[in-house]
Amino acid sequence: MPDLEFKIKNFKKISSTNQRAKELANKGVAPWTVIVAEKQIAGYGKEKVPWFSPRGGLYFSIILPKSKIEDLQTLTIISAFIVAKTIKRNFPLEPLIKLPNDILLNGKKVAGVLTENIIGEDVKLSVIGIGLNTNIEKFPKELENKATSLKIELGRGVKVNDEKILKKIVKELKEQLKTISE
Amino acid sequence: MKLKLKIRGKECEVEILEEGEDKVKIRIGEKEFIFGKEEKKGISLIQTSIPKRDFSKKGIKAPIAGVISEIFVKEGDFVKREQKILFLSTMKMENEILSDFDGKVKEILVKKNQEVREEETLIVLE
Repeated sequence: MPDLEFKIKNFKKISSTNQRAKELANKGVAPWTVIVAEKQIAGYGKEKVPWFSPRGGLYFSIILPKSKIEDLQTLTIISAFIVAKTIKRNFPLEPLIKLPNDILLNGKKVAGVLTENIIGEDVKLSVIGIGLNTNIEKFPKELENKATSLKIELGRGVKVNDEKILKKIVKELKEQLKTISE
Repeated sequence: MKLKLKIRGKECEVEILEEGEDKVKIRIGEKEFIFGKEEKKGISLIQTSIPKRDFSKKGIKAPIAGVISEIFVKEGDFVKREQKILFLSTMKMENEILSDFDGKVKEILVKKNQEVREEETLIVLE
């Protein structure tokens, strides 16, 4: 049985979980520390495109252990599958993966993944960030047709347990990276 | 001919593809290596399996294929080892590339939004 332990650090409001994870990793915070924010003020996705991150979503980044860049690439692709699988296993929903980084429900984005690496002579630091719209009730007009949440898709009476979903995703990511690295 | 070797405690399958008087071609995993008379001296299997970059030249290479999304230096700049040089976006990741060396930027071989191959030299330092 592989060691699937991890540590969670909760924040009420930060600029971006990936940014904070990179800062903490730089300061020597151990791999498999998970940075969770209730709200991101400057959450972003690929090419720094903003990720709408009000209270009600699940936003987290994981400090990854030093790995080969090829393995990190594989992990990133797999992470979209893990998020989709977690949604499918826990809710009566049919997620669709829009490769490489997005997960859609009924054609609208519900989750995204962004891995960031700092590379010198070797990979110095890696973090993987996941934004999953769990309990967001309403999106601003400009996003209404592009984004959705689990709560919107499930019906507004349902409340998704963020912590339970987070733990399932991180545990599976850890297991998968271990398999890839070996 | 296939052999099993233990390299640094890890078991590897080594396949000898060609054997001649002067050279031998082997495959370890997906990588092929050719050993000739000259190369035999001082090169061990362990050394050939490690380098991803050529440290004898002051070239900063792409560690992975992708697109250059930002360049932070210009020709003539002095850069320090581990200074941020450029951003390389791959389909799935954003990679901040640091300089491997101290030196002066002699040549920038890529432009913003250019696609690059793995191991392609991006910037030359002197």
